[in-house]
Amino acid sequence: MKKRLLFVLSFVLIFSMFLTACQPEEVEEVVEEVEEVVEEVVEEVVEEPEVEEPEEEEPVAAGPDLDPAEVAASLPREETLYIAGLQWSAVVGWNPYSSANNNAMGVAAGNNARVPIFETPYMYNMINGEQIPLLADGDWEWNEDMTEATFKIKEVAKWSDGTPVTAEDVAYTWATHVKYETTAGVGYGEYIETVEAVDPLTVVVKAKLDEEGKAVNPLLVKAYISSEYVVQKAWTETLEARAGGDATALKEDPAMDFVSSGPYTKFYDDDQKVVFIRDDNYWGQDASMFGSLPVPKYLAHTIYADNNAGFLALKAGEVDVSQQFNANVQDLWLVDNLPISTWMDDAPYGLTASLPTAYFNLESYGLDNIAVRKAIAYAVDYDTIIANAMTNQSPTFDQVPRSVMNPTAGEQALYDQAAVADLQWVGNDIEGAKAILDEAGIVDTDGDGWRELDGQKLSYNAVCPNGWSDWQAAMEIVAAAGEKIGIEITTLYPEWGVYQTVFVNGDQQEYDIFMVWSDGAGPTQPWGRVRQLMYSKFAETQGNWNGNWGGYINPRIDEIITEIPATTDQARLVELYTEATEIYLTDIPSFTLMYRPDQFYTVNESVWTNYPSADDGRNIPPMNLLDGYSIAGLYELELVNP
Amino acid sequence: MKGYLKYFSGKLAWFLVTLVAAFILNFILPRLMPGDPVAIITQRVVQGMTSQAGVQKVYEQYAELFGTNKPIHEQFIIYMRNIVQGNFGLSFSQYPRPVADILKSSIWWTIALQFPAIIVGWLLGNTLGALAAYLKKGFDKVLMPISIFISNLPAFGMAVILLVIFAVRLKWFPTAGGYGFDMIPNFSWDYIKSVLIHYQLPFWSIVLISIGGQAIGMRAMSIYELNADYVKYSRFLGIKDRKIIGYVFRNAMLPQITGLALSIGTMVGGALVAEIIFSYPGLGSTLLTAVMGQDYPLISASTLIITLMVLIANFLIEILYGVIDPRIKAAQVE
Amino acid sequence: MLHTIKEVFRSPKFTIGLAIFVVMLLVVFIYPLIITDDPLDIIGLGTFFEPGIYVNLYDGLESKTYVLKLEDAAANRIASKLGEQERLDIQEYLLLAGVPEEEIDIEDTEKLLELWLNNYDPTVRFPGSTSAKRKYYARLDASLDGLLSTEAAIIAVKNEETGELEEKSLVKQDDYVNVSKVANVRVLPLGTDNFGRDMLTELVSATGVSLRIGLIAGLVATSIGLTLGLLSGYIGGWVDDVIMFITNLFIVIPSFVLLVLISYSIGQEQRGASTVAIVIGFTSWVWTARAVRAQVISLRHRDHVNLSKLSGHSVAHIIIFDILPYIASYVVMAFILQISSGILAEAGLSILGLGPKTTDVPTLGLMMNWAMIYSAHIMGKWWAYFPVIVVIALISFSLNLMNTGLDQVFNPTLRD
Repeated sequence: MKKRLLFVLSFVLIFSMFLTACQPEEVEEVVEEVEEVVEEVVEEVVEEPEVEEPEEEEPVAAGPDLDPAEVAASLPREETLYIAGLQWSAVVGWNPYSSANNNAMGVAAGNNARVPIFETPYMYNMINGEQIPLLADGDWEWNEDMTEATFKIKEVAKWSDGTPVTAEDVAYTWATHVKYETTAGVGYGEYIETVEAVDPLTVVVKAKLDEEGKAVNPLLVKAYISSEYVVQKAWTETLEARAGGDATALKEDPAMDFVSSGPYTKFYDDDQKVVFIRDDNYWGQDASMFGSLPVPKYLAHTIYADNNAGFLALKAGEVDVSQQFNANVQDLWLVDNLPISTWMDDAPYGLTASLPTAYFNLESYGLDNIAVRKAIAYAVDYDTIIANAMTNQSPTFDQVPRSVMNPTAGEQALYDQAAVADLQWVGNDIEGAKAILDEAGIVDTDGDGWRELDGQKLSYNAVCPNGWSDWQAAMEIVAAAGEKIGIEITTLYPEWGVYQTVFVNGDQQEYDIFMVWSDGAGPTQPWGRVRQLMYSKFAETQGNWNGNWGGYINPRIDEIITEIPATTDQARLVELYTEATEIYLTDIPSFTLMYRPDQFYTVNESVWTNYPSADDGRNIPPMNLLDGYSIAGLYELELVNP
Repeated sequence: MKGYLKYFSGKLAWFLVTLVAAFILNFILPRLMPGDPVAIITQRVVQGMTSQAGVQKVYEQYAELFGTNKPIHEQFIIYMRNIVQGNFGLSFSQYPRPVADILKSSIWWTIALQFPAIIVGWLLGNTLGALAAYLKKGFDKVLMPISIFISNLPAFGMAVILLVIFAVRLKWFPTAGGYGFDMIPNFSWDYIKSVLIHYQLPFWSIVLISIGGQAIGMRAMSIYELNADYVKYSRFLGIKDRKIIGYVFRNAMLPQITGLALSIGTMVGGALVAEIIFSYPGLGSTLLTAVMGQDYPLISASTLIITLMVLIANFLIEILYGVIDPRIKAAQVE
Repeated sequence: MLHTIKEVFRSPKFTIGLAIFVVMLLVVFIYPLIITDDPLDIIGLGTFFEPGIYVNLYDGLESKTYVLKLEDAAANRIASKLGEQERLDIQEYLLLAGVPEEEIDIEDTEKLLELWLNNYDPTVRFPGSTSAKRKYYARLDASLDGLLSTEAAIIAVKNEETGELEEKSLVKQDDYVNVSKVANVRVLPLGTDNFGRDMLTELVSATGVSLRIGLIAGLVATSIGLTLGLLSGYIGGWVDDVIMFITNLFIVIPSFVLLVLISYSIGQEQRGASTVAIVIGFTSWVWTARAVRAQVISLRHRDHVNLSKLSGHSVAHIIIFDILPYIASYVVMAFILQISSGILAEAGLSILGLGPKTTDVPTLGLMMNWAMIYSAHIMGKWWAYFPVIVVIALISFSLNLMNTGLDQVFNPTLRD
């Protein structure tokens, strides 16, 4: 109440000040007064919030014994690495059990888990698929029948409160995930039976078994240990006590008092930035891990209003590592001559690993007809999508023919390209598409310029979230293709908030052709992607975040999806993946529009240098220097002018 | 005195009634928007959950928490009760952050940016208009068309042009934000300096587009007054030119003050665009993210604050106007 | 009446404003008759091609060649690859590589290139050099390759049977083609946008659509404003109270905020250009209503109105014949302003992504929005956004000039 009173008062003050000031007697005076007032106002009013803010921000700001402004009123440029493109609004919390924290910069578990604060047992390296020990000591091992994975915890691994990380912490974290039905608990619950601490340093992950006594899915057991954080048991118990056993309360807890094991911890955050500070007692400086502390003392992320603001900041040298889609990024060095580079010097500039895909809603009128799906997919001009929408930051479908694989060499080797070459369309085949439709008897019967199927006009919307600019541009090009072959396609860009409530429902009728990302690189790929694209079990479910959003059903593909995880024979794997690709390209339940990096990666060498790049032979992946093994890059940065 | 009292109480009554109506509108409008924000929050929390019953349970929990499961009139009563207690509720899009907390961090930026900018624009515009009317000739012929042209640039156009010239090309000013990207807010000269530098471009982009309109109005009023009979009479009486001009511009200014009151609402709209283009923290950016995220409580609260600001500004100006303009008193007595 | 119209055209402000406006209208109508391409056709594979004349290289090779002996041709050719900056960069590299400063003459192209060839080593990493710099030198090295060559370039075609390259023609360094003799030449006066569409064609089409939006918005706003203003001013009493209350409410809630909320609520599928125009009109009638009311109040006790009342004329009759003519000039002026503010409002909405849906027609706001989404303003692609701003400003400027001109005619005291 007091605050509002203050606000009203200051308001009255400012206004009365002006209005008394502006009853001019003489013209000349007006001019003078204007100038005076301008100065007065600017100072008076601008200063005001500054007096207020430090007090108000305190609860949001760093830990209890750390006043950020006292430690560093401004972050020394030579000690700070600025990252952009992850965090788009203020951080809400730091809770590793929650997916509602809006804390992309710090807490993001997954295939390439973000590990500056919380850590996983292993770090995934998307370049070569290796899982590199982090909290774990040495490689993990399967038992003989692939039902139990065992790994050790490093003896030197410590929590930020100084206590050692133990196998019990790992076990308890899993138990908590299951008990409170967190994303991880639910997602892995079908595949992992328990996680047990055999002794203080030995962890055993026991897979769920099927009727034959084999692991339901060994791939997902493997994924778990490099994807999910280890959280301290003692702190988890504090959290549970606070939530009183209620799952929602536990997931909503902002967890300001978290205990973590990573090299950084929270320092400052408000509506305009998030800053992490290095923990100089970080256990990883031990010779058995990194052998040193990460180079930047601070990791900072300015919260930009939009892509452009972040792009401008990158140009101005205010951002060091940018995870944004920056259109025509090559102009930064070719035209503007700035010390900016991407993973590779030439198109596609990045390490593309994911396949943004347009799904056909098989319940929409006519889209259950293979001829219609095929015609649309064949007619789309993918070269234009790649050149214009993606500004060439994707290989073309000439360079990497379409399949269920991402463009990395590892995945490409997993299928027999020659066997499906006839099916791999390149696009912009208007005549071919028309012929397919004509042959299927889908022609314009009433002369309105649009084709009809059994008398009903084919008319669809092409949907993707608003503001996802390259996707939007791609959808425009899909719509243009429709017009050329006589199928009406209009674009629709709902807000992400709306979009995500619709496309996840298997029986939705609103979206006909809609775009969804695909899995990028990870320990379960490309199996995970095959499952995401076509697994029947995902069809028709509500709240489906897993895949097959168009509702495609094919028992044969389900068999393949079940067989792959347990298959170790390479030749058999290639056979299975080739068959999956063949089915995918024949039935066309969805079609890939472009290739895209898991994370965009553009670095500015105004302050820091020695960033990982494609040709340096270090095998550090281009993932913001935060995700999975890419955090190793933080230890190798150098100042341009030491 | 009685006349004043009547005038003020009349204005106050109008003020209150409008406030209530605006309040109701602010509550209803966002809730008429399509989509289900509770579903959005639920989606965020239940990601990965497969049990339909579980998802439904979470949904109901949130519906209960935000009161969206109650009929709209009940929701309104709850909303009103909370507002009176200074509680704007929890934000949907930044859940579980309280709306008040989000507003607190943005409102000062907006007040500090918009009101000085609007008033400086008004003062400059009026000065320019008065000078044009008085000096005529070159000034009127050259400066006026230029200022009209500038004020006809769309708000975002002006912002983009200033951004490209002064921030991207010349690099005199920063491109985004309210303070230096390397700063932690604190009470120090460096910080204030940084805030002032970041302030310039958004400030001038608002000022420049509001000058022209005011100048045209002021010029017209001044010319009208300059030709009025009392001026001729005063001249005839031999009163000094300086003094006459003083009266003239004072009289010409009066309608301009009402003009200011009326146009504050419009100007706030333009200023919101400037905030968005310069990524300046403030209500504009907050409102936009709120709309995009279907964050009812945040939309309601920010439109309410904007409305309140405009309303209070209007009210104050009208009151002041009543004090300044003797005709008002006369009118009320009559 | 005739006299007034004459007066109007004697006002320089009005005439200039009208002239600008008419020229724009003419362009909007005539341009599509000459250039019949679909404004939304994607012609460029790639984004933001610079304004200029695009000559088909293949056809260029096929067309007649002329030999021109131009002295500075070789120098120009070298300068395009090896400008002042590049020479300085080479000098910097050579110094780092340990070449004594006195040996480097950056003006002597031949010697400089020789030094470069002898000293450039892509594998060497100097202390403090960034990888961006190393990559720059690698690109420079590649572009300098064969710079001093005077050999002709060979055009070869693949023999379909043997798959071997067969020499077809030679392109010598002093060969020229006449652009008018090349089969395919496309002039893109304003280049292309992010979709690879011809900017000028799109801009003209968008101007037309935006004018239509302004017109619809202006009509809607003016008719609502006029009706309410007339009712409120003439009838007075509770009608006046209610209408004024609503009007004040609309003034207090910033119309832009209202516009954003309504546009969002409508949803994109329904947001055609006309719908957006109507919504804009619906939120911007307030000014007209207020002003009309004020005018009517001052009119309603005039003698001729009283006379009309005494003669028993109906309210409608009085309003139409005794009041409307007196405020007609004002209404016209307000209408003009509404058109311009309608166009500005559409542009503002589109910038926020709340404008008309994109597939149907281009509008000025949408063009601006896409240019911004693809960072045209940051990357210096001025042709993708600046002409749009200028067109918007010109429309609004011309309308305002017309308005000021009219104002001076109808209010003689304002004349210069």
